[in-house]
Amino acid sequence: MARYGMALDYKNCINCKACEVACKEENGVLLGADKHRIWVGVKEIEGEWPNLSIASSTFIPSQCQHCDNAPCQEVCPTHATYYDENNVVRVDSDKCILCSYCMNACPYDARYVDDRTMTVDKCTFCSDTRLARGETTTACQNTCPTKVRTFGDLDDPNSEISILLRTREHFSLKAHLGTKPKLFYLK
Amino acid sequence: MEVEISRRRFLQGSVAMTVVGGTALSTSNLLSSEHGGGEYKAASGMPESVTTKTGTGEAENVPFLCGICVNKCAGFARVENGVVTKLNPNPYFPKSRNMLCARGNAGIQTLYDPDRLKYPLIRIGERGDGKYKRVSWEEAYDAILNGTDKFKGLKQILDEEKDNRATIGYCNGEGLSKEGFEVLMGEKIGTPNYVDEVSICLETTLGGYFSTIGTYGEADLNNADYLIIAGANRAEAIITPDTMDLFKRSRGRGLKTIVLDPRFTNTAAKADRWYAINPGTDLAFVLALTYVAINENLYDKDFVTKHGVGFEDYKKHILSNKYTPEWAEKITNIPAKEIYKTAREFMAARSPIYYQGRRSVFSKNDFQLRRAMAIFQALSGNLDKKGGIVYGKKLSLPKEEINTPMYAQVKSRFDGKDIAIPSDKTGSWIQFRNMVLDGTAPYPVRAMFMRKHNPMSGVPNAKKTEEFLKKMDLNVMIDILPSDTTMFCDVILPEASYLERTSPVATYGGLEPAIVQRKAAIKPLFETKEPEVIYKELAEKLSKPLWEITKKYDEDVQDDIKGMSKDEEEKYYKENGFDLADAWEKPVYEANKEMVEATFGEEAWKILDEKGVYYPNMEKYHKQLNPNEFQYYPESKKNYTTQGDKLKVIINFKNLAKKGVDSMPTWHDEWNFSVPEGKFRLVTGRHAQFTQSGTTNNLMLRDLIPTNYLWINKRVADEKGIRFGDMVEVSSSVGKVQIKAYPTEKIAPNQVFMLHGFGGSSEAMEIAYGNGANDALIIEDKIEPVYGAAVMHETNVEIRKV
Amino acid sequence: MNIKDFITSIPVKKIGLKELLTPDNKLVGLAGFVLLFMYLYGALMALIHGHHAYGVTREHPWGLLIVMYIFFVGTSTGLAIVGSFGHIFGIKIFDRFGLRVTWLAIAMLLPGFAIILLEIGHPIRMIIYNMLSPGLTSAIWWMGTFYTLVLVFLIGEFIFGLIGDHKNSRLLGIGGLLADVAAFATLGSIFGYLVARPAVNGPFLPLYFILTATVAGSYLIFLVYGIMYKNNFPKDIEQMLTTLAKILGLLLAVLMFFDYWAILTGLYGRLPERADTILYILSTKSYWIGEILLGAVVPFVIILMSKGKNLGALVWASFFGLVGIFFMRYDMVHNAQVFPMQTMKIREYQLPPSIVEYSPSSTEWLIALGGIGLAILIYQIGVKLFDLEAHDEHH
Ligand SMILES: Nc1nc2c(c(=O)[nH]1)N[C@H]1C(S)=C(S)[C@@H](COP(=O)(O)OP(=O)(O)OC[C@H]3O[C@@H](n4cnc5c(=O)[nH]c(N)nc54)[C@H](O)[C@@H]3O)O[C@H]1N2
Ligand SMILES: Nc1nc2c(c(=O)[nH]1)N[C@H]1C(S)=C(S)[C@@H](COP(=O)(O)OP(=O)(O)OC[C@H]3O[C@@H](n4cnc5c(=O)[nH]c(N)nc54)[C@H](O)[C@@H]3O)O[C@H]1N2
Ligand code: SF4
Ligand code: SF4
Ligand code: SF4
Ligand code: SF4
Ligand code: SF4
Ligand SMILES: [Mo]
Repeated sequence: MARYGMALDYKNCINCKACEVACKEENGVLLGADKHRIWVGVKEIEGEWPNLSIASSTFIPSQCQHCDNAPCQEVCPTHATYYDENNVVRVDSDKCILCSYCMNACPYDARYVDDRTMTVDKCTFCSDTRLARGETTTACQNTCPTKVRTFGDLDDPNSEISILLRTREHFSLKAHLGTKPKLFYLK
Repeated sequence: MEVEISRRRFLQGSVAMTVVGGTALSTSNLLSSEHGGGEYKAASGMPESVTTKTGTGEAENVPFLCGICVNKCAGFARVENGVVTKLNPNPYFPKSRNMLCARGNAGIQTLYDPDRLKYPLIRIGERGDGKYKRVSWEEAYDAILNGTDKFKGLKQILDEEKDNRATIGYCNGEGLSKEGFEVLMGEKIGTPNYVDEVSICLETTLGGYFSTIGTYGEADLNNADYLIIAGANRAEAIITPDTMDLFKRSRGRGLKTIVLDPRFTNTAAKADRWYAINPGTDLAFVLALTYVAINENLYDKDFVTKHGVGFEDYKKHILSNKYTPEWAEKITNIPAKEIYKTAREFMAARSPIYYQGRRSVFSKNDFQLRRAMAIFQALSGNLDKKGGIVYGKKLSLPKEEINTPMYAQVKSRFDGKDIAIPSDKTGSWIQFRNMVLDGTAPYPVRAMFMRKHNPMSGVPNAKKTEEFLKKMDLNVMIDILPSDTTMFCDVILPEASYLERTSPVATYGGLEPAIVQRKAAIKPLFETKEPEVIYKELAEKLSKPLWEITKKYDEDVQDDIKGMSKDEEEKYYKENGFDLADAWEKPVYEANKEMVEATFGEEAWKILDEKGVYYPNMEKYHKQLNPNEFQYYPESKKNYTTQGDKLKVIINFKNLAKKGVDSMPTWHDEWNFSVPEGKFRLVTGRHAQFTQSGTTNNLMLRDLIPTNYLWINKRVADEKGIRFGDMVEVSSSVGKVQIKAYPTEKIAPNQVFMLHGFGGSSEAMEIAYGNGANDALIIEDKIEPVYGAAVMHETNVEIRKV
Repeated sequence: MNIKDFITSIPVKKIGLKELLTPDNKLVGLAGFVLLFMYLYGALMALIHGHHAYGVTREHPWGLLIVMYIFFVGTSTGLAIVGSFGHIFGIKIFDRFGLRVTWLAIAMLLPGFAIILLEIGHPIRMIIYNMLSPGLTSAIWWMGTFYTLVLVFLIGEFIFGLIGDHKNSRLLGIGGLLADVAAFATLGSIFGYLVARPAVNGPFLPLYFILTATVAGSYLIFLVYGIMYKNNFPKDIEQMLTTLAKILGLLLAVLMFFDYWAILTGLYGRLPERADTILYILSTKSYWIGEILLGAVVPFVIILMSKGKNLGALVWASFFGLVGIFFMRYDMVHNAQVFPMQTMKIREYQLPPSIVEYSPSSTEWLIALGGIGLAILIYQIGVKLFDLEAHDEHH
């Protein structure tokens, strides 16, 4: 029993996409441009050469936010989307009817269709691979060259993530929607 | 319902649309029956799908060293039922600090690339048409020795050349088994004509730094507080540990970062300031920084007095030449006031670093640029100290004794012609190739032995490389994939990839030195073999026949063995190193064990064997600090300062003058940047999801970055009616290519950029073939005068929408 | 009365293909069969290739099938509402609708179901887990449940009507109406609940859905009666339709009012995603020509000019009106998804995401158009099988 979350020291991110590849290899995610559980967003740079705004091209690594108040879970007609015992938002592919409602409901574009099961897939915090084996880091955290990511139990006050969130300012994406994401961006 | 998304399906799907010229079909009979054969897959230990979800059951974790690029990051390969399902970072290696980059993670796809070379092949068609016959290893070795009706064998060639071993050329790309190939070809077979990546990569940097401060050094980015990084793109061209350290403290977090690059890179995106410098003008920038430091007395006088050689001359030189920021502004495109500011900040910083860079074959003045950079670094006094450029230490491994034979007939190498300080070892690729091609070489070069190197992509002016290869009587390639160059070879030997082989122990020095061992995660797939096994077997095959040729032409040998009995002659043959195979007596793993146990003890071997890494006191020193960070050496044990009084900075290098090279960095006006009206300067470089030409067939990486594009300034593109994705033709004096356009403000109006390594011409590489453009087809083959290293960014091109 | 007797008491006529293809409706019947074949072919493609046969994407997961589903069930709901004017609310003049409109509602509902079954990736699983682990917070769950009820009520209402049990028929009709309004309003809320999509999020959609349903139902009634009487209406029918036209005029006025304010409030304050979507909507032809011109303005003007009396023109306008309703449904579904949830570039060489594009695949078109065939055939079969013409006479 835990409440897993991830803190992202996003200013470290160099958009190398090691996390994306690690995720695909660890979790057997299919290839294809729209089949990804994790991504890094870049805004198109502002300005004209040579006067470009460096600040305008920040890299924002992201994935399923494991919302505490998850629209995807709320809208699912069959409870295929559920909170597991660690408060990780999961999809039970046996129950998913592929109504695609959750894909529309997710404000973060975190969900996609897995072509093998023809059900919806998304980041699982590596619950059925690494966590199931008792490992304590996710594939994306472990491999990251600049150590952007810290995964851990938000309920454990001594976990690294809890310490980070206590000691550093942070924000969430689309916080105004009230989804209460468990991905935290460190300032 | 299980749907297997095959490579082909993948090609037809999301990416096929972006493939230039339609879907690549493998017409080559290299591939013949391999695609889609279920039985075949099962037999060869290939995974069932492109990516494999890791299981929760039994698994083996084998320490390996990544072989996708030069860094050799350490990892553990997760092996389930004989299939590598995941590559995880290894937390014990101080150089790679528990990381694998995107390419490192995607290494599985290289291992299981269906297009891999699977068995030895010999050419049955014409060079370049891709017609090969599958043969046994023995047949392949035999073809190298004796030739076939299509090509000559080494025996005939050497006989005709009267045992002039220099008639064989060889080349090898970077890697852990490179030395063995050099032993085989250079020391045992005995040719001096070796070229490798050095003269197309970093020769001028190494040369410039070594000749100035005696080392290339390591930038202690964890403790620096000011960084100028010019012509190095660490966010995309990954070098460990620099890439990991640099970006944790950039952007207002302790490491002020100034980036100089003609284009806005991901490194620039992390900078405090980015200067869009004109290509090839960095030297003027550094000279101007130096001018400010000297003119305003900002430099570290004590340090310079103590360690500098010829500083006063330099001072005069800089001041009298008036290398002012105002002067440099016109050349570099960087405002004078910015240069003043940067120089002053640099000299005022506690621990400033002017980053050395790596690939440096940009312009003709590069050697002098690196010298100027090293000197400027020294002026700050921040050398051989924490937070500066450090010398570090290396755990030394015993040098293997090679019983090197002497051949009297062998002629010396010739590619040093017109070059100031030719490298005897690695030569000059361009000079070597061009002299062979245009007939100015003093003797014929008739065979090329190649390994892990793809000059059709890496050496400028690929047309000439093709002609060069076609001119040979015999081309042999050891590779893992049917690369562009491989397709011009007569005998192709398939090597086991880095995940299938144990490599000789390597040592990595620096602040936190360690030794590492790559261990085979799985047995070699198909009929591939470890390089050392290939060297040995080939040596065994060639040894006696070549010895016969030596006996026929080598007067020294003839004198020596005159009147010897058969046994005595055999003894002479063995004792004098003519037994070519004697360098590989033990398999690599056993040799590693023996050597490590003898040097560091049995315990060390146990640790190395299990963890892939070893350094003294590792069990004591190595600690996990938090989920992301490890301690390798305690602070007090890091090798920040190792030189003391012996540190010398050669500022005025008088010996250079004797070779016709400026003894102090000097700007020559012919280096001023200019591009004729209507043309563009072509720049090339790296991307974080590709390694040169080596990964273009990697499905995972190709998924991330389907092809290369031509960066062209957006406003210029608008004027020319070029939009994103439009096909344009890029032509230079040596060739032309077609490539998609990427209009962006990240590049100057008179410059264009493309990623290096794309545009494969080998049809046997399904994913890489015809994908994007090969920059080597349009880059002119110019060399710089000091080492004859390639100059890659002095080509102007025209752009036309097609 | 046991069930067997009850069933046998339902008056049915034996019909053959001949009757279905009587000279006057040969064309319609034939079209019905051709379209039915298209549906079957599309369904086959869908069975073989699953969702790959559709043009839907990660960014635009709902497409033409959802559009057609909404089109059909919405029109069905509209028919039930309009039908209830006489049957349930006892407005005399609308008595003439009789069972025909009820059957029409069924004939529109069933194709809707047939289409949504192909849209749902795993329909059988849906039936199982809708019951085993009902997602009570899910609008889709409620909508599905309501529409199942609607079907039951409608069929009941129809059968009791056929056997002349008007009391039970009316009771079931009331139940049906309530379920129907609930169902379609819930369908509206499926979009309304999308907090991620500010352009549709809010309480306004369920209302808007009911309004447009009634408009759509009215259009279909004009169209069906127009075809049936070849624009040569008996007096009572003419009176009824003229009254309906006036009601429709009022509804259209309200609808246009709604549209106007929806656009204005959407733009006001320039809330990033919402305003961007509205601006996009305003740039599309399907909005101006489809939704506004065909869907509302043309019928409205005709009603206004002729005081509802030019029924011939109105039948034509209704045809275009239905086309307009289709665009309304299409735009509703498409515009809800048009603003990307991922606004940044996630690959080096791509243009920054702007408007999410979607174009239906051929399979989707086959199924969508095929649905119309299903509707025509079901309607025709019902008319003949239950001799609805005779029932019309009785009234
Ligand atoms: N991901 C990845 N990492 C790699 C490699 C790889 O292929 N892929 N290769 C490895 C190898 S072998 C090497 S040598 C290194 C190379 O590492 P780098 O040298 O850092 O990389 P490059 O991209 O080749 O070139 C660096 C930058 O120089 C810029 N440039 C070009 N001309 C000039 C100039 O005149 N002045 C200045 N200031 N800048 C200029 C280019 O725009 C480019 O962004 O990377 C290593 N790491
Ligand atoms: N235009 C342009 N040219 C450049 C550069 C540039 O930036 N622009 N960069 C330059 C630099 S810095 C460098 S270092 C060179 C690199 O040039 P190369 O050394 O030629 O490197 P790659 O292009 O990666 O080709 C490597 C080859 O090795 C093969 N290979 C990979 N793994 C193995 C293995 O385990 N065993 C064997 N036997 N073969 C293997 C691959 O299939 C491929 O054919 O290119 C240089 N050339
Ligand atoms: S691995 Fe780390 S640095 Fe690389 S893209 Fe992912 S989060 Fe960014
Ligand atoms: S990010 Fe999207 S998929 Fe993930 S929990 Fe939130 S709403 Fe659901
Ligand atoms: S697609 Fe699957 S997971 Fe998503 S809402 Fe529908 S049933 Fe639930
Ligand atoms: S936590 Fe695991 S599943 Fe989620 S993005 Fe990271 S690697 Fe993928
Ligand atoms: S940087 Fe990446 S590709 Fe290079 S050795 Fe390390 S993990 Fe492998
Ligand atoms: Mo290199």
